[in-house]
Amino acid sequence: MKYSYNWLKELSGTKKSPKELAELLTMRAFEFEDMKTEGKETQMEFSILPNRGHDALSHTGMAREISACEGRKFSSPPFLKPSFRNGLGVEIQDKKLCPRYIGAVLENISVGQSPKWMQTRLLASGVKPINNIVDITNYVMLETGQPMHAFDIAKIATRNAKPEIIVRKGKKGEKIKLLDEKEYELTEKNLVIADSEKPIALAGVMGGFDSAISRKTTSILLESANFNSTSIRKTRTSHNIITESSHRFEREIDPNLAEAGMARAIEFVKELCGKGAEITAYTDIYPKKVKAWQIRLETSYVNSLLGENIPVPKMKNILENLGLAVKMSGKIFNCEIPTRRIDLKTQEDLIEEIGRIYGYENIKEQAPVVEVKTPPQNLKRDFENKLRDILVGLGFSEVMNYSFYSADDIAKCNLKIEDHIEVANPLSLDQQYLRRNLISNLLKNVKLNLKNFPKVQIFEIGKKFRDNKGKFSEYDHLAGVFVDNLVKETPFFELKGKTEALLINLGYQNVKYEALQNPEMKFWHQSRTARIVINNQEIGKVGEINPQILENYGIKKRVAVFGLKISVLLEMKLPEKQYKAVSKLPIVERDLSMFVEKETKYSDIVASIKKSGGNLVKNINLFDVFEKEGEKSLALRLKIGSDAKTLTSAEIDAVMKKIISALEKDLKVKVRK
Amino acid sequence: MDKEKIASIKSGFLEEYQNSRNEKSLYEVKVKYVGRNGELTKILKKLKNLSAEERKQIGTLANEARREIEKAYEARKKELGERIDWEKEKIDVTLPGKKVEIGSLHPVTLVYREIERVFSSMGFEIVEGPELETDWYNFTSLNFPFDHPARDMQDTFWVKSPKEKMVLRTHTSPVQVRYMEKRKPPFRIIVPGRVFRNEATDAKHEHTLHQFEALVVGDDVNVGNFKYIAKEFFSAFFGKKMDIRLRPSFFPFTEPSFEFDITCAICSGKGCTTCKNAGWLEIGGAGMVNQNVFVAAGYPRNKYQGFAWGFGIERLAMMKYKIDDIRWFESGDLRFIKQF
Repeated sequence: MKYSYNWLKELSGTKKSPKELAELLTMRAFEFEDMKTEGKETQMEFSILPNRGHDALSHTGMAREISACEGRKFSSPPFLKPSFRNGLGVEIQDKKLCPRYIGAVLENISVGQSPKWMQTRLLASGVKPINNIVDITNYVMLETGQPMHAFDIAKIATRNAKPEIIVRKGKKGEKIKLLDEKEYELTEKNLVIADSEKPIALAGVMGGFDSAISRKTTSILLESANFNSTSIRKTRTSHNIITESSHRFEREIDPNLAEAGMARAIEFVKELCGKGAEITAYTDIYPKKVKAWQIRLETSYVNSLLGENIPVPKMKNILENLGLAVKMSGKIFNCEIPTRRIDLKTQEDLIEEIGRIYGYENIKEQAPVVEVKTPPQNLKRDFENKLRDILVGLGFSEVMNYSFYSADDIAKCNLKIEDHIEVANPLSLDQQYLRRNLISNLLKNVKLNLKNFPKVQIFEIGKKFRDNKGKFSEYDHLAGVFVDNLVKETPFFELKGKTEALLINLGYQNVKYEALQNPEMKFWHQSRTARIVINNQEIGKVGEINPQILENYGIKKRVAVFGLKISVLLEMKLPEKQYKAVSKLPIVERDLSMFVEKETKYSDIVASIKKSGGNLVKNINLFDVFEKEGEKSLALRLKIGSDAKTLTSAEIDAVMKKIISALEKDLKVKVRK
Repeated sequence: MDKEKIASIKSGFLEEYQNSRNEKSLYEVKVKYVGRNGELTKILKKLKNLSAEERKQIGTLANEARREIEKAYEARKKELGERIDWEKEKIDVTLPGKKVEIGSLHPVTLVYREIERVFSSMGFEIVEGPELETDWYNFTSLNFPFDHPARDMQDTFWVKSPKEKMVLRTHTSPVQVRYMEKRKPPFRIIVPGRVFRNEATDAKHEHTLHQFEALVVGDDVNVGNFKYIAKEFFSAFFGKKMDIRLRPSFFPFTEPSFEFDITCAICSGKGCTTCKNAGWLEIGGAGMVNQNVFVAAGYPRNKYQGFAWGFGIERLAMMKYKIDDIRWFESGDLRFIKQF
């Protein structure tokens, strides 16, 4: 809120300069935002905490705060209670939505300009002066925090020249033009002020255009009411209006304030709006009176929670300066809370008041007394960090993408919309669904980065979400992509090599790569994708992306992708590492070149060699492969040796012969001799 | 006469051959002394003119000198032959190295690691929780009233859920309650994680953010303890002595609540453009855990005391690496990532 420095100074009696005041309040109460000086006036803006809108969105409230921060008592000026009671009919249909309504009819008014001093203060508080009546309602609100409104009685339906006010819900189809000259369509959720015929104001938000005060106005209805905060917030958000009045009401205001506001306004009208101005009717509907409440505070708890030794009289002093009535009994305070401090409900609320006015900077830092122990490891986070380190070493960079994508992405990636969790209120259609996989967004990264880099290697570790027939789940996942503009061949093998290196480094053994059978997801390239399997459990996939999808994203190069299920990998127990004695016996190398049919799988050849060669085959390494006229040529280097003795060349030849004949027999391999 | 001459020839050679830097110049030295017209050869040639006794004496000396010279020559020749020719070996070491691919970690990861390292060394456990969260854990259990503005559509992403009301968590604090449901104090934990805010993006605002929070609960944990740990942390994180200051604030799940500022890391508190000459930077929120949160987690009211504090990782990363636009973090753009 914007405050006039002179006004605050007058009410609080502070001797501090605006700058000093800004510093003090920032540390003790509210953050200072901005300051503007024009002539003799200085406007100071503070950001009032949401739980202090009850009392601090006013010059009186802020002056009380300043006095308390400076260690002084504050006394608010007394007001005269109007005694006139007659004639104004007010009906409140839902008392929960309108706990109090005070209406006063004032006649023989002359509308004109408000005095200069009032205009100056309004301007310093950021409010534009309009005419004396409107200015008085605004001035009273800025002073006390109570929003007010004035209607021109000539413009509203009356009976026997007296208005009849109904506080009711809007009716479907009802319309009202408000002071902003826009027409609004009302719903049953809107609270309105109505006469016997039509709504004349959107309660607590904005007055109606037709009943506005004009130069010709001679009699007015002044309103000082209290409205339910939630109802006001819903009304003003549904119509997208925010006013000084709604801003205060939606933070909840003390209903007892309505009376003070009305008294102050009547005083000003009589003084500033013509000599003949007089009250002719006054009604106050206030069925459920709010009374001060008690909080019991243990003074030892104050020091225990703050970690400081604040003397008990000092605590009492702080609370009293804030307007609380404190009765001491032993080490206990019985505090009576003024009704304006709706935020004070518990002991801790009072401890906060003591702590902040005492000054948090005066609380000494204190090493906590804690048990010395090693915290349990977060295995998942450690694992993810290990993945990151290895991947960076393998040339991948880490990206972080949004957890959202669009219906368009789902269609482009051949995914099913019904597997996806939908955001009820997305920022845009691009972010309507929670990602079911990490790869879709990585493909967008590929598209972007290929503009600047010939080779893109990126990975992401993050959550993917799934709607499994109404059951929502989230999974920790790793996905990496690889594309190289400068290479013509498939990127599959380079990425597979890196995936293998990753899993080997992590310590996983017996990792198998099985060709994708009946691909359920049309996301992957059907004939260039492998399931990664450990002990018959799928831990992920490595493969090319379906070229159709790449085309959908406008990516001209083939892209290889791998995905690993982090939660599955974490559950798998890694075999303990164990040293195997390095053989001192010689190992010989034998090369094996062969032609195989196109359909023959390398994994089957390796399995056959291992089976027929037994434990004499120490290692199999593919060093050349090419395809020609429907035939594949492979060149393998075998390492042959025994752990028990040095093999003779006859023994080696025998093993090789066994291996070759098995290959020829079982897999129709033609070994080149 | 000749005796002296032989001695001076020998010492002359031994002096000169040492200076020869390659085989060719060494050979030239050898030729000068023992070549066909070499100085020693001349003496040997003249031997026949001497008397038998002289011939024997001088001849022995001259031959000894010759053997010595030959031996020294051979040794030096071998030495020179084995020597590496540094000139020939020379390469331009300022040429670039052969390209090897190495990736970069995301700056958010780098900052997380740094934070986790400091807290782990202080004995904090690292705990995580789900990103898709129930209304109960995200709001109700954290003492948000049912009509709190944060529950409005404009601040929070809600998902279309057939059963329970669910949100994309707006903070990491739901993990507080999830953890306390299973564990009894005393404990100290930190919670890293991704959070979501339903707000339009610009250079300073993102709807997807990374957060971090700490929770310490015990019998008598107090504000002074919080100040101590926060100061320890930031001093370790920035590698220099940092001060912190608390200002009053409001959060439903803490009471008292604070905003906390740290000494401006750029100017060390002297005042600069980053801190708008204040010498302080606003970092995050903190407070003493509201008793209602303990009750929601199943603890008895007023049995324990604790503090919670959290801050945004992006903000810290922007400060540390001087990044000017928050949208870079989720851009997936390697021109950004490769700088880390």
